[in-house]
Amino acid sequence: MRIGTFLAGVSAFAALVGAPAFAQDKPFAGVTVNVITQTGAIQEPLQRRAPEFEALTGAKINVIAVPFSDLYQKILTDWASGTNSVDAGVFAPQWMVDYIAGGYLEDLTPRVEADKDIQQEDVGAFFRDFSEKYSGKTYMITLDGDFHMMYYRKDVLEAAGLAVPKTWDEYLEVAKATHGKDMSGDGTPDFGSCIAKKRNAQSYWFVTDVVGSMTQSKGTSQGTFFNTKDMTPLVNNDAFRKALDFLSESTKYGPPDELNLDVSDTRPLFASGRCALNLDWGDVGTISIDPAQSKVMGKWGAAIMPGSKEVLNWDTGKLEACTAENCPHAIDGVNHAPFAAFGGWGGGINAAADPKVKDAAYAYFSFMTQPAQSNADVTVGGTGFNPYRTSQLSYSDLWKKAGMSEEEAKVYLGAINDSMSSPNMILDLRIPQNQKYQQVVLDEAVSRFLAGEIDKEATVAAVEEGWNELNEEIGKDEQLKLYKATIGAK
Amino acid sequence: MSAEPRSLARRLFEPASIDSQAPVARIVTYALLFLWTLVVVVPLYWVLITSFKGPGEVDNGPFYLPFVDFAPSLQAWDFMLVQNYTLRPYMNSVVVAVASTLLAVLIGSLAAYALVRIRFQVKLAAVAIFLILLTAIIVAVATFGVRWEIAIVVATALFIIALFTLVGRTKHAVGNNDIEFWIISNRIMPPIVAVLPIYVMFQQMRLLDTQVALIATYTAINLPIVVWLTRDFFAGIPLDLEESAQIDGASKFRVFFTIALPLVRSGLAATFLLVLILAWNEYLLALFLSNADAQTMPVLVSAQNTTRGPQWWNMSVLITVMIAPVIVISSILQKHIARGLLVGAVKG
Amino acid sequence: MTATDIMPEAADRRSWAEWLDGHSGRIMVLPAVVVLLCFAIFPLIISAYLALSRFALAPGGFTLKFIGLVNFRKLLVGSQQYHLLGKFGTFGFVQSVLLALIAAGLFFLLARYLLRGRPTVVGTVGRLLATAMAMGLAALALATMAPGGVPGTVVNTLLYVFVGVSVQFALGLGLALLCGQPIRGRNFFRVLFFIPLMVTPVGIAYTFRMLADMQKGPFAPLVRAFGISEWSWATEAWSARLMVLVGDTWQWTPFMFIVLLAAIENQPRDQVEAARLDGANGFQIFRDITWPAIAPIAATVVLIRLIEAFKIIDLPNVLTGGGPGLATESMTLHSFISWRTQDLGGSAAVGYMLLFISTIVCVSFFNFVVRPARRFEA
Repeated sequence: MRIGTFLAGVSAFAALVGAPAFAQDKPFAGVTVNVITQTGAIQEPLQRRAPEFEALTGAKINVIAVPFSDLYQKILTDWASGTNSVDAGVFAPQWMVDYIAGGYLEDLTPRVEADKDIQQEDVGAFFRDFSEKYSGKTYMITLDGDFHMMYYRKDVLEAAGLAVPKTWDEYLEVAKATHGKDMSGDGTPDFGSCIAKKRNAQSYWFVTDVVGSMTQSKGTSQGTFFNTKDMTPLVNNDAFRKALDFLSESTKYGPPDELNLDVSDTRPLFASGRCALNLDWGDVGTISIDPAQSKVMGKWGAAIMPGSKEVLNWDTGKLEACTAENCPHAIDGVNHAPFAAFGGWGGGINAAADPKVKDAAYAYFSFMTQPAQSNADVTVGGTGFNPYRTSQLSYSDLWKKAGMSEEEAKVYLGAINDSMSSPNMILDLRIPQNQKYQQVVLDEAVSRFLAGEIDKEATVAAVEEGWNELNEEIGKDEQLKLYKATIGAK
Repeated sequence: MSAEPRSLARRLFEPASIDSQAPVARIVTYALLFLWTLVVVVPLYWVLITSFKGPGEVDNGPFYLPFVDFAPSLQAWDFMLVQNYTLRPYMNSVVVAVASTLLAVLIGSLAAYALVRIRFQVKLAAVAIFLILLTAIIVAVATFGVRWEIAIVVATALFIIALFTLVGRTKHAVGNNDIEFWIISNRIMPPIVAVLPIYVMFQQMRLLDTQVALIATYTAINLPIVVWLTRDFFAGIPLDLEESAQIDGASKFRVFFTIALPLVRSGLAATFLLVLILAWNEYLLALFLSNADAQTMPVLVSAQNTTRGPQWWNMSVLITVMIAPVIVISSILQKHIARGLLVGAVKG
Repeated sequence: MTATDIMPEAADRRSWAEWLDGHSGRIMVLPAVVVLLCFAIFPLIISAYLALSRFALAPGGFTLKFIGLVNFRKLLVGSQQYHLLGKFGTFGFVQSVLLALIAAGLFFLLARYLLRGRPTVVGTVGRLLATAMAMGLAALALATMAPGGVPGTVVNTLLYVFVGVSVQFALGLGLALLCGQPIRGRNFFRVLFFIPLMVTPVGIAYTFRMLADMQKGPFAPLVRAFGISEWSWATEAWSARLMVLVGDTWQWTPFMFIVLLAAIENQPRDQVEAARLDGANGFQIFRDITWPAIAPIAATVVLIRLIEAFKIIDLPNVLTGGGPGLATESMTLHSFISWRTQDLGGSAAVGYMLLFISTIVCVSFFNFVVRPARRFEA
């Protein structure tokens, strides 16, 4: 990339977005950028804002949408084979490591540093320092914030005299107590807990939610997937076994077909008032205030993921009660470990694209993330975008316009804030080929466990052996080095 | 005598002649046919009414009758057909399905005709050498980084030399039946085995995400079926018709297009429809070979499963508009399907 | 297609036309052969290479490392055995008896061929191969379906193929026999019953997900009335597999129906008439006249369906994503999931296993069922 071209592009862009008065001077006239992302949410705002951006800069944004399950491979195949029909993509930061391994992703660091309008200091520290970066360089522009949280039905819990669960045990108690009650008002019994447990979907994230609150207690850099000493999987221990128990126990209080539900099924389920408790990303909040879909307006709340009063002793593999020493970040004796699952959708640019196209793509992502656009988009359920900027976490007219009451906002945005600022946040597994670890080995084993194909011990063995085998295949030492680097372990 | 009850039972259970039906048998027949009609219609009906529903009607359902228990809306139709670019995938599907079907039927029936009417002798050694050289090209390119242009030129040269020197001395040959069997057996290959190389091939030719790539691929995967079905139509034509034309000096191609093809039109119509349906509905290859420009309808249908939940209403609109034209075409070709598939299948 | 002929020089248009005519056979077959070489043989060889390699991303592209049979070993005896083959249960009395019966049957067929026919080398080798494959698959199916066992993707696929095609054939034949009677509106039924074939399999999969929803699908009130709304088909292996089969059957029964109906309409009517006058009942007519007349067609449609059935992916992928556990995962889906997570070698290896099984099954069916059925007609 020639520095001259690049600087010209950036300054032209900065001038233009900073001062719309110069809009007639379109720096990217005639440039077309092919941006790939998933169908539906995420696609919607990218497509909707494309004409605005074109009017402003002259660049035509062509949004290519593919089903979520095919997105990772589509981008990879296009870039690895040298096809390069995709100039930029909006995807999961977790995949970044594989794309960087092939050298396909453009280093955006100089562009971001030169760009004032992007207001990086407003972006949540976690996204700015972790999601967007890999080994110190910025490769992605975050467009969406993502945390796993717990959602509950305020009215149902109050009526039953139950407190909002703080631990996984309490979660099960509440689920059990509310299961079978009619919560949607249609005369049919509803469910205590709705968790997406479908295979080849999102179920493996929720496993980590539960395991993590027991294995990771000493801060983010401790990690929850592997022992940072020797890359031994943290699987063959009581924490993982207890998490499996939780999953099978919670299934009893879920919809009968819970094993075949992914988040796209549980979200409408919660919004239509049929679940007392639910685990999901921030999307449930914005869907619950959407009058077209929600029957729970004003009746729901959100909280940080439940935690555990016992944490794992890594050396013995046994659970021990929380003390000030082993749970330094515990709140009221409960160790919470909110999981930054997925890490928020972000935009990355193909390093092999034409320089002019790269500039236009960067300008577009910058445009999308600037508060003027982003702060409105995160309040709308259909966008799939959740808050990730500090300025988005306070109640504003935009939230009001979106239909969220101040009280709801306090709870919802508070839960996000609690998670985002937790020093004990769990980071995504971001080592090379992480998809094989999680989507293949972990997902398959848990799915077989829940379906009753294998028992608890066999599940533990399957995950442990599968991860060890991958470590050997890919190179254990290299994986350990990268694992420690991504979580900041010493 | 018990003549009366017996004749009553007879009338109830046994038809008087082959072209009539006894009363009980008739009731049972119609009852069973009605039952299967329900099996066919209920899913289609549900798709149709879902296309007039919105999130509210689906999530709080089930609702069965538009205007009676829910108010139908055209929102999904408006969203899919007016606001979104459904027209482009739709045209892609039409172009790809029709073009690939026509090509497959043309190429396939030509080959089938030749295999029925002309005797072939291919030296086994030539086939073996060809395959060995093809493998060698791939290994050379993949492992030793030889440029593929060079590899192909060298291999072609070697092949020609081998043909003139070695092959002539061998005796074993493969005949028409073997060639036919080889062509048909290609259909057994699961597309998943071939899809990555095909992807790379089109990528090298800069044809990914174009209608051309899909047309070529669909032509290839449906070709075996065409050969399989049409070879028997041709085999069923009396030889003397063609022979008399050939005595008049018509070329084989002329005979094929002016005499053979018209004679088997029913069979061709049936083949055409079957292949058209296969190409129209294909999903896996389209998913790999298209991004945005050449996206076809089945891919668009599956893309309606989003993180906000499957957009049942949008999906239903798409399914409905996908079935409609095929129903029209098959109603028109209905007569031929029955006759054509029969002839093809008898000797298949 | 050998190049033994030397091309004659095309001196004028007349001789050019003659040349064209002289070579018309080759020219007619050539396009088909070229297309198949490009889209079948060439990809197959590349895939074979992939199946023997490990794919990894590397700066600027990717690397393929040749690793021999590791991918296959992993699937057949290594860490992925449970996935492809399944988990073996305890082989009890029932399983042993069943296997012994199957072995006896196969041995009988083999012995009959060797003793009664005039055995050829190719015929014998083919039969031995088919017998070995049948025995192996039968043993695999019995062992993984035995108590304590979990079927892998091979057995799931076989289940879809054999159960699915049998049911579709039975239903298609039944409907064709009904419609073959002198009834009104035959053409109406013919068109109506044909419609499911025209729906794209992805669409069918989603349609059945809607229909099978126990909470808000059309049958929800029925489910509630029976008091089984606490149960779901999606959580149990067999009911989930059944659901996939229901969707597949809905789509493919029409194909069987339409062809068999055409065959029935074409049966020798004078023989039927004569038999009826002789007092033959419906079953006798079916056995002695209709069945012999339609057997060759029946064998061929079953073969066409067999070939297609091995490729099933859309239905299990959409309905259950292969779950619960591995219960509904077909081999094509197995291969597809491997490919989606960068395991290109494993994906190609699974694809090759599928090609191997389906080729032997389909070719055996062609030689041992379709051919005899045709001879039977002649």
